[in-house]
Amino acid sequence: MAWTFSRPLHSLASEDQNKEAQYVWEHENLGGIAENNNPLPRPVVGLLILTFLTAMSLTFPLYGQRPNAAIYADYVSLMNSTMVQKVMNDKTITHNEAKKRAMAMIEESLAHFDSPYTFQRAQHPIDLDQLRVIAPQIVELQKAGVDLKEYSVIGQHVVLANFFNIQPDGTVKRVQPWWDKGYTIAVWWFIVFCAGVIITVKRLPHFTWRPDHTIAH
Amino acid sequence: MLKYLFAKEDDIPQGSAGLFFAVSAICWFIIGTGLGSFNAAKLAFPDWYHGIYALQFGHMRQVHVHAVIFGWIAMAFAASMMYITPTLGNTKLWSEKLGVWNCLLYNIGLCLALALLWSGLTSGREYSDHIWPVDLYIAFVMVIPWGVNVWMTILNRRTQGIYTTNWFFAACVFMTAIVFLVGNLPEFFHLTGLNEAYMTWWFAHNILGLLITPVAAAITYYIVPKITGNPLYSHRVGHLHFWSIVVFYSTPAAHHLMSSPLPEWLKSFASVEGVLILVPAVAYVCNILLTMQGKWSMFVSNIEIKFTITGVLLAIPLNMQGGFQQTRAINWYIHGTGWIVAHAHLALLGFSTFAEAAGVYYGIQVLLRRKLYSASLANFHFWMLLIGFSLYWTSMTIAGLIQGAAKIYEVPYVDVVIAEHPYMIVRWLGGTMVFFGNIIWLYNMVMTARAGSIVPVGRQPVEVAYTR
Repeated sequence: MAWTFSRPLHSLASEDQNKEAQYVWEHENLGGIAENNNPLPRPVVGLLILTFLTAMSLTFPLYGQRPNAAIYADYVSLMNSTMVQKVMNDKTITHNEAKKRAMAMIEESLAHFDSPYTFQRAQHPIDLDQLRVIAPQIVELQKAGVDLKEYSVIGQHVVLANFFNIQPDGTVKRVQPWWDKGYTIAVWWFIVFCAGVIITVKRLPHFTWRPDHTIAH
Repeated sequence: MLKYLFAKEDDIPQGSAGLFFAVSAICWFIIGTGLGSFNAAKLAFPDWYHGIYALQFGHMRQVHVHAVIFGWIAMAFAASMMYITPTLGNTKLWSEKLGVWNCLLYNIGLCLALALLWSGLTSGREYSDHIWPVDLYIAFVMVIPWGVNVWMTILNRRTQGIYTTNWFFAACVFMTAIVFLVGNLPEFFHLTGLNEAYMTWWFAHNILGLLITPVAAAITYYIVPKITGNPLYSHRVGHLHFWSIVVFYSTPAAHHLMSSPLPEWLKSFASVEGVLILVPAVAYVCNILLTMQGKWSMFVSNIEIKFTITGVLLAIPLNMQGGFQQTRAINWYIHGTGWIVAHAHLALLGFSTFAEAAGVYYGIQVLLRRKLYSASLANFHFWMLLIGFSLYWTSMTIAGLIQGAAKIYEVPYVDVVIAEHPYMIVRWLGGTMVFFGNIIWLYNMVMTARAGSIVPVGRQPVEVAYTR
């Protein structure tokens, strides 16, 4: 087996190997079927590059992630404030009206402050009933001094998140990352795949060579 | 068949194994779709049938799934491999006798496996429902002998090169055996929890990704150049398709479990690979459609090309769905809904079935050297299949979107059932059309064997005129 690296994108096979491959290609009848040597059309190459970029960008954990407890911490603080509690316990209005007003008051207050969680709050809206259920759990965690970003809100439960980002000192961070080792593996996997396929097809005669199918067929 | 079981190898006519597998496949297709129609009727008309416990939906669903996958799809693949593999190597099948035995034991094993599922003996894992003795039987009696025949035929070929179709055939049977043995580890070793869940879906994903879709594609790589007479558009794009199937289709099993407590990095990796399934899809569809250049009239005039190209066109929505529905955001909406059922049928009853039907139509004519009995009946079969499938797919997709919305907005389940009722009726109608179309197909094939015009040696069936 011989390899030529002088023009790697033209052909990785020697002239003799290419001549032999061309001879077999033209003289062999594979059950009555012939094959051409066309390259992948350029628009399709573009489509494949777009596919890879889409695959990487669309699957970031940012999209479709579970809400973490930190995004609701301010909701809980405001819900427990005197001002909101007063509305929630107002006997002059109906229960539903009280809930609606209290939630509106919380959201209006939150709108006045910049927050790193604005996007995630819009992704995971919450109502007062669910807030009431998760609030005691969030308060307990705050008392314990843990990082709320390491806890996910799943239905009525606030649970330790399922992320295992091992730090250099051996500790495990459970905050959802924007990048994780799954992406690193995916990038390397793709690079190795591209290299493998490029080597495979570049061992064939160059695509400018057109086989003559009249010889064997 | 029985007279060939103990005959000498040279006394068995070439193509016998392929023919037995082909006829078995059609029969199992009728049985499988009949069971599907029965099951769909139970969902459309819940009060229609009560009585025997074994005929309740929970039992029947598994029997339907396995009758279709292992009966119709896998046996149609085996039939195609038994005649295409030797043809492409300019040789004969390594052992017709092994093929005939394989077909007999395959049918017996499948009957046994389905009877056990029917009686309630199941592993309880979707797609790998069989108990472990049946798993071992499938692996060592049904799949590996089939693979040995394919591998040995390729090893004994009389050509230097190996055509694209045979790469897929050889690799896919090998990978199926591995998938079967590894994917059923929970059954063999009583694995539980996440290990069980992951292995179960690793199995289910790879049975689809390393057997059902690539072998269907391999059949079209043969049918289109063979019947149109055009050379395959590109050998090198075939490489891209093959290796991207191996690299990208074998890895994303975790995307079936996006809401599970699997490590998130594994889900991230699987999700990227899931979208990259579009790489082989784009390469494949481009290669086949470009091979059709100048012969598009055959999409109307030739029944095998009609089936094949319809299958290839259905591969486009199939892979678009498959690539994107597993991403976190979309999966959250459609997971556990009828959308997935629609997608599975797009793969099995859409892309794969249309390609295999073409392989079986062509194979039976070539092996019997008889022209198809009736083009009208074949066209009737095609339209029953296409309209029936389309009704099924659209109704279940819509039902899935309703279920997804209801899941998120916590609509009471009974309201969802009521909202879905019309779509369940359409689903039953579509499935039943497929079932009746297949009965017509069997009749057409039986009549082809009895009364089809003789195809002279050295000529293609497409070159012979229909007599009816």
